[in-house]
Amino acid sequence: MTRLDTMDCEFPETLADALELMADDTTRGVPLSGGTDLMVQWAGGVVAAPQRVISLAGLPELKGITLKDQCVVVGAGTTHAELRASEVIQARLPALAAAAATVGAQQIQARGTIGGNVANASPAGDLAPALVITGGAVVVAGVHGERRVNLTDFFKGYRSIDLRADELIVRFELPVNPDGSREMFRKIGTRSAQAISKIMAACRIRIEDRTIRSVALAVGSVAPTVIRLTELEAWLTGRVCDEDTIAEAVRRTVSAVSPIDDIRSTAAYREWVSGSMIRGFLDAFFNAEARERR
Amino acid sequence: MKEVTRKWIINGKERQVTCPPLRRLLDVLREDLHLTGTKEGCGEGECGACTVLVNGDPVVSCLIPAGQVPDGAEILTVEGLEETDLGRLLQEAYLEKGAVQCGFCIPGMIMSSYALLQRNATPTELEIREAHAGNLCRCTGYVKIVEAVQYAASKLS
Repeated sequence: MTRLDTMDCEFPETLADALELMADDTTRGVPLSGGTDLMVQWAGGVVAAPQRVISLAGLPELKGITLKDQCVVVGAGTTHAELRASEVIQARLPALAAAAATVGAQQIQARGTIGGNVANASPAGDLAPALVITGGAVVVAGVHGERRVNLTDFFKGYRSIDLRADELIVRFELPVNPDGSREMFRKIGTRSAQAISKIMAACRIRIEDRTIRSVALAVGSVAPTVIRLTELEAWLTGRVCDEDTIAEAVRRTVSAVSPIDDIRSTAAYREWVSGSMIRGFLDAFFNAEARERR
Repeated sequence: MKEVTRKWIINGKERQVTCPPLRRLLDVLREDLHLTGTKEGCGEGECGACTVLVNGDPVVSCLIPAGQVPDGAEILTVEGLEETDLGRLLQEAYLEKGAVQCGFCIPGMIMSSYALLQRNATPTELEIREAHAGNLCRCTGYVKIVEAVQYAASKLS
């Protein structure tokens, strides 16, 4: 018997029912999606077990991946397995497909969801860098309606998100990788599966005639939340992507991150590797563009 | 605490359970239904020893609240494996290739093998390794486990 055997849980069948429960102090509970983070924390006593839990599993309104205009709309209950297998995500948000494929292993990917990954708000959440490079938004709902928040603003601080007590995350609206742009995602962990990241990064970039036309860079596990390297992005835009540019980009990356020593890695390692990851992205994209020009 | 009742198809047979809503599927299988073939390793979703299939997906039963498994769900555990042709084939392949050492990881490992070969009868070595990446073997018998799955796949074609 674990402490889980003493906890209460409601199983609403529609989003409206779930929001009704969340609206009232006497029925509100901690939202539970795939459970891959929360079940461990509750069973192990890492966090106090809440009195009541609201299960979001199987809510039809939180499912689905659709392409609308130039935006991919992803339901919060979409699993990592569904993300990585989706042809729309693979073609239009390749960094997100790659990130989902690095979470845990297949058993975790079959259960964990994009909404849960974001709500957990771990600085080491693997989807976050791939999400914020899209410049997209998260849509949250309460009984009184919906609210749209830019993803970069949604991550407020260490394990803190812009979600009110009566709200649930319902979907993500993610602008697609435009034609001519490329995306990449890279994760460094102790082993390639079942490892929580020491550091990970994502990039969306368009290079034409050796010149960087647009770029979005995000790094995770190097600050209290995922960070977009906006100053570096501005500096890189319009520059020729040569060795001098790349070397300066590495220097600027290292000074932009603020990692800590923790159980998984050290600040010094993370600083060094964050620069190497940005170098790896720029090298790879520059070489790919050079090959195409030949 | 309000208990929930769920009706599942476990290893082909209809079973009804009534239990606390967040009780781990692992505990329902082992303690309530006495299906003790499924093992608890870490209890944190890291080791894969408790892997079972729910509607064909390999999942770690230590992280699944029983109440979240809907009525009508099909659950396959290691006990149900020998009722299937593919399960018997995998059993023989694991024996043939000496893939079992202490054996504790095997009930979960072989469920991942089964799930893989159900979806992909001709996996590459990389696909086999990825499909078993969520199952840890502390005897480090991975090479022979991969060989066993390759051997089973060769018998399928």
